[in-house]
Amino acid sequence: MKTVIIKESESITIPNVTTFDLAQMAVKDCTGCWTCWWKTPGKCIYKDLDGFYHEYITSDKAIYFCKVTSGFVSGNLKTLFDRMIPLYLPYVTHSTGESMHAPRYDKYPDIEFYYDGEFESADSRQIFVDYINRVFYQFHSKTITIKAIEEFIAEVGEGA
Amino acid sequence: MNTIILNGSPKGNSINSNSRIFAEEFIRNMKNPCEIRCIANADTKELARYAAGFDAIIIILPLYIHAMPGIVMKFIENMEPAATEDKYIGFIIQAGFMETAQERFVEAYFADLAKQLNYNYLGTVSKGEAAGIYMYPKMFKKVFRLLNDLGSAYEETNAFDKNIVKELGKPYELSKSILVILSIVNKIGLSNVGWHRELKKNNTFDKRLDKPFL
Repeated sequence: MKTVIIKESESITIPNVTTFDLAQMAVKDCTGCWTCWWKTPGKCIYKDLDGFYHEYITSDKAIYFCKVTSGFVSGNLKTLFDRMIPLYLPYVTHSTGESMHAPRYDKYPDIEFYYDGEFESADSRQIFVDYINRVFYQFHSKTITIKAIEEFIAEVGEGA
Repeated sequence: MNTIILNGSPKGNSINSNSRIFAEEFIRNMKNPCEIRCIANADTKELARYAAGFDAIIIILPLYIHAMPGIVMKFIENMEPAATEDKYIGFIIQAGFMETAQERFVEAYFADLAKQLNYNYLGTVSKGEAAGIYMYPKMFKKVFRLLNDLGSAYEETNAFDKNIVKELGKPYELSKSILVILSIVNKIGLSNVGWHRELKKNNTFDKRLDKPFL
């Protein structure tokens, strides 16, 4: 089973797994140009994520280790989400009773999403979890697990 | 109330920025129009400091992956909690999807963010099916009028008018009758006419379903 890791937390290192360390890379912001939909279908005008796109779309599982920022994902991770739109088609389907972008690829990785940081309240945490669930539902991932990073460390061990 | 409008579109002030159009329509009929600044290409730290000097901040933004574009989150990261109780923040979202229920996730976050920042929450105004505004402005005269009225009412009352917000937010969900119409429109290919015209213009129609990263 192929896995890809996207991380912001320095404390997590998993050897022998392709890892994109967002703490070390500033993802170029999406410009909303739609080049990836109508000029070079499936390809962003920027090339900085080409390696990521290949690893993500050919993986069975993507594991995110994200830092909670102002009760949400960081601007850098949000930009990564924005830049994932080339992996989907511009066409909109309504088969689920709501609008969704159609998939470009036949399958998308399952998601394990670990968050690192505190929330101001249980409601704030729920807002965050609901949002992450929705993102990967829209991204056509079939299985989505969202947990605090402490749960991962307890199961696997820090620096595992 | 001394209010700054922040245009959160990555397209900034460009001609194809729907958020720019929303901002301009919002202030169009104001007696003393608010200042508008773009987040795109700004020093977000400096802009956050500047915006904190106003009584109220209204961010007008496109919906990207159910929330704000990354550049707007980078601006939010630089906002400091208000030291006094008299600061206000509100949001106006324009989105591509028709139903504004798509915005419920970020609306909940924005309400929570206002609390975190010790700002009074003006609310979030959401308008769906707005992607084509810059391309077909004549089709959106009613939306512009509602935005003009929303801005005028805001200038008078320091609040978003609930009736206008409700009107702009329709439909909240896709009703059975809308879904039937959409399924017919999808079946006969009408919904993709615009996309296919652009793809053909760019000689990429045959590549529209490409999977370049396998």
